[in-house]
Amino acid sequence: MQKTADRTPKQHIRRWRLLVQTGAFLLLIITPLLNCHFQVNFVQGWFQSLGIGKFWIVSPLEGLESLLVAKIIYLPLLIGMLFPIIIALFLGRVFCGWVCPIHFLSDLSDRAVRLFIRKKNPKDFLILPRSLLWFVLIVELVLTMVLGAPLFVFLSPPGLVGREIMRVVFFHTLAWEALIVVAVLAANFVTRRLFCRYFCPLGALLAFLGGKRKLVISHEPESCSSCGLCARACPIGLDPAHGEGLSMHCWNCGECVENCKERSLRLGWQKKLGRG
Amino acid sequence: MKRRVFLKAVAGLSGLLFLPCPAKAGKFFSSPLARNRLRPPGAVSEEIFAGKCIRCGRCVEVCPYKSIIPLDIRSGVYAGTPLVLAEKVPCYLCMKCVKVCPTGTLQKIGQEETRMGLAVINRHLCYNWQEMTLCRTCYDVCPFKEKAISLHELKPLIHDDYCTGCGICTHACPVTADDGQKAVNIESLYANETVRW
Repeated sequence: MQKTADRTPKQHIRRWRLLVQTGAFLLLIITPLLNCHFQVNFVQGWFQSLGIGKFWIVSPLEGLESLLVAKIIYLPLLIGMLFPIIIALFLGRVFCGWVCPIHFLSDLSDRAVRLFIRKKNPKDFLILPRSLLWFVLIVELVLTMVLGAPLFVFLSPPGLVGREIMRVVFFHTLAWEALIVVAVLAANFVTRRLFCRYFCPLGALLAFLGGKRKLVISHEPESCSSCGLCARACPIGLDPAHGEGLSMHCWNCGECVENCKERSLRLGWQKKLGRG
Repeated sequence: MKRRVFLKAVAGLSGLLFLPCPAKAGKFFSSPLARNRLRPPGAVSEEIFAGKCIRCGRCVEVCPYKSIIPLDIRSGVYAGTPLVLAEKVPCYLCMKCVKVCPTGTLQKIGQEETRMGLAVINRHLCYNWQEMTLCRTCYDVCPFKEKAISLHELKPLIHDDYCTGCGICTHACPVTADDGQKAVNIESLYANETVRW
């Protein structure tokens, strides 16, 4: 046991992740406050498009839909999409696990629920096939082109969190769309991250891009005691002990690594094939 | 059998979604633009606006006058798109919003080329045209005085070569009819141009 601990030092992933998530969420609150009350326009927007000075980030799915509908190539849009696409290619769905405000709010609500129900990881009542995610992405793209108006763009829960915070800061109201966020959070009681697992087209696109990512959850079968704690800890119900840390769906959130007593899971760069 | 029941239920429920009268469905897809309801400067045609705009809200955030408001779900597919309510807070043509739009929905244009709409004077309401009093508020506030608006025998005239449709005249106009109309209103004439691909 001591030997194992020596070989693989503890990774403090949860601490870092909470820090990043909190920072990303604070950005959503501070940006409209600065813009509204202090006329500081250095940072604008939220996760549909974030402008930090001259550095623009555009969410890849929204940008793609905009291109599909308008059929006009606009260079700043393409360049803005580049950064998240590169991140997704190398790191996978880290946006979902580390940045997305929906996951952050779900995490908070999970913690709040845990205060009342002492059960650590609630049961998932509704299990659907994971391929539903690809189906949702295709339907979303086809619907976008049929309607000429992308649905996810104005109904996306992560975007709505930003938009509603901005609406509160600027206009002191909330819109009815905010109920979508509430519904998505409430769906966590049926299955943890029900929306993120099966219905988020943005997550699907990021998963698709991250198919050959470099950052993965690797598993050492030698030290694994097959306790199943990692599978129970995974917010999207993957089983890293059986190689699902390498699957496209994995968020790289590192929750399984934190829960592994034997430290046989590790978040890190993928080793070259043929070595182990 | 179970699957069949499930599929039938899904089909029935989705049918229900589209059942309520076509008028409502039409409203879901109809543009929010109307008199004094304008897009920010440089907006592309309304035909592709709902598709091109990604609702990032950056134009709303940079607007120093809070002229631009984001629409909500009651506007159907136009939810989240920016709108200027000319009679409430007009656009002061600071041109900050066009510089931050990441999708090119608001194209980078100058103040003079802006065509958010065209000011139209309602001569039945205007104090000057009704010869009730000498009011030249619209003339005084216009940012393109003598170009976009001139006084012809003390009566205001709009020139469409120069009028940007910013709505400052509408906002300043002292006349408000019972239905909330002003004596000078901005008609969103240019928003309905057909896109040529």
